[in-house]
Amino acid sequence: MKYSKTTPYFFILPMATGLLVFRLGPIIVAALASFTKWNIRTAPQFIGIGNYTEAINSEIFWLVVKNTIEYMVIFVPGVMLLALLLALLVNQKLRGIAFFRGIYFLPYITAMVAVAMVWNWIFATRFGILNFALTHYFHISNPPAWLADQRWALPALTIVAIWKESGFQMMVFLAGLQGIPTSLYEAAAIDGADKKQQFFKITFPLLSPVTFFVFINTLVIAFKTFDITYTMTGGGPNYASTTLVFYIYQNAFIYDRMGYATANAVLLLLIVGAITMFSFKMKERWVNYAL
Amino acid sequence: MTMSVTTPKSSGRINPRHIRIVLSYLALTFLAIFSIFPFLWMLNTTFQSQGAVFSLPPKLGDMIFKPGMFDAYKEVLTKYNFMRYTLNSLFVAGMAAIGQLITASLAGFAFAKMEFKGKNLLFGILLSTSMIPVSVTIIPEFLLMSKLNWLDTYLPLIVPSFLVGTFGTFMMREFFSTIPNELVEAAMLDGATTFRIYRTIFLPLSVPAMTTLFLIAFIHNWNDLLRPVLYISSSSLRTVTVGLTSFQGEYGARWNLLLAGATISILPLLIIYIFAQRYIVEGIATTGLK
Repeated sequence: MKYSKTTPYFFILPMATGLLVFRLGPIIVAALASFTKWNIRTAPQFIGIGNYTEAINSEIFWLVVKNTIEYMVIFVPGVMLLALLLALLVNQKLRGIAFFRGIYFLPYITAMVAVAMVWNWIFATRFGILNFALTHYFHISNPPAWLADQRWALPALTIVAIWKESGFQMMVFLAGLQGIPTSLYEAAAIDGADKKQQFFKITFPLLSPVTFFVFINTLVIAFKTFDITYTMTGGGPNYASTTLVFYIYQNAFIYDRMGYATANAVLLLLIVGAITMFSFKMKERWVNYAL
Repeated sequence: MTMSVTTPKSSGRINPRHIRIVLSYLALTFLAIFSIFPFLWMLNTTFQSQGAVFSLPPKLGDMIFKPGMFDAYKEVLTKYNFMRYTLNSLFVAGMAAIGQLITASLAGFAFAKMEFKGKNLLFGILLSTSMIPVSVTIIPEFLLMSKLNWLDTYLPLIVPSFLVGTFGTFMMREFFSTIPNELVEAAMLDGATTFRIYRTIFLPLSVPAMTTLFLIAFIHNWNDLLRPVLYISSSSLRTVTVGLTSFQGEYGARWNLLLAGATISILPLLIIYIFAQRYIVEGIATTGLK
């Protein structure tokens, strides 16, 4: 393709402007702010790596890191398994399948504020429908207080998060499944492979690049979780459901500690970066690009 | 022993394919209940008269098929301004999503089909900065917006999204890469300019990808809560998510109204999904998977 040297820049100009002004700019300011003491109202004060040493020596910081990892460890496999199951189910040629796809996608398109009220109501300790069902139909006398219970708040949030995210990842898996040529299944069937063998010998290996894409995607989403915490527990009780991004938000907006908040953000980035890099390293072991 | 335990042929053997179909529908239905239960309950509550809202086990809405069935909707739409909020959200999310289609497809075209200085650097910045959560950059962003005098306008909600979307740019780049260069060369021979090639060849071919991108960008902006809460102070400019949150704060006990508002906030997204759905799988398939 022939074009003058300046032509490409006209194409990228709007995006590049936005990227530099509204994204990179604030990020650089935030990174610099991580070396300062700053409450937004007065000028930032340089304190070196003080915020970082404070975070590393803080018990709450490590509790929050632990929560984030616990959340991730349930969320990522949960979404992946449910999404794959949904995709396999809706990949069949059955009457009304578009309707089911729509239903599974519905939680994804909904604003968390809109459904948080319903989920709060489901999990409510005394008048919630979940505990009503547990006590009346399953005869469990002391059901947990869910969102108000230190042990159950985070798992309850994770369930809602899985419910909300799976529909989108289902679509990604579905796109991958539809990219596998049907001739492979026909050939396998002629050779006498049963459905189980077909799944493990054809579907699973050929789907592995998509699986990897979904894995990285859900991993990043897991670390960014915010809306659900904000609308359902506010991080409580007693930090039990506070994850890193919510903790950053708390420090920045509630405690007015911008410098400390951004230092935490930098630490978060380092953790996500390390895990992502490790995942890419492990990729060759199981991801199969050859057809 | 001559008694046979196998099913007699006359009654018709059960076809294993039929069993699989029945099992599939059972699984589909079971999972559908898990997905949709909160929505059904929400919808049902909007048809309850005030007193019946908290009953356990949940009762079917007592206003269903009675005059005044939609009173809760009428009340939130007119008395509590949800009509206005919905239109505001439509405007903000629509502008941001349309903008992203334009800028992401322009940039995606350059990334896919052109060579220029700084290309890899720019793409690297785009991808790596998308990992950073908004709550980190929101304060410097807020200071920037106030310097620009954009507070209490829709500009902070629209402009950043309008200009730059990582997922969108990535998606358009991936999609455009699949369009063969021969097509471009042929058009070049006919004397078409680069912009014309972009507009008359690339854009028409990318309808599924663009539709998917529009849906995702629209959902994202429609559902955003943090930015509208921070930037919008006039109540007439509120978006629907902010409207819901403030309604919850002010009239928290009026569940049927609150959930009618929530239902209204989902409806436009559902309608767009229904129109876009046939493109979504195809749109995702051609992008971002390899």
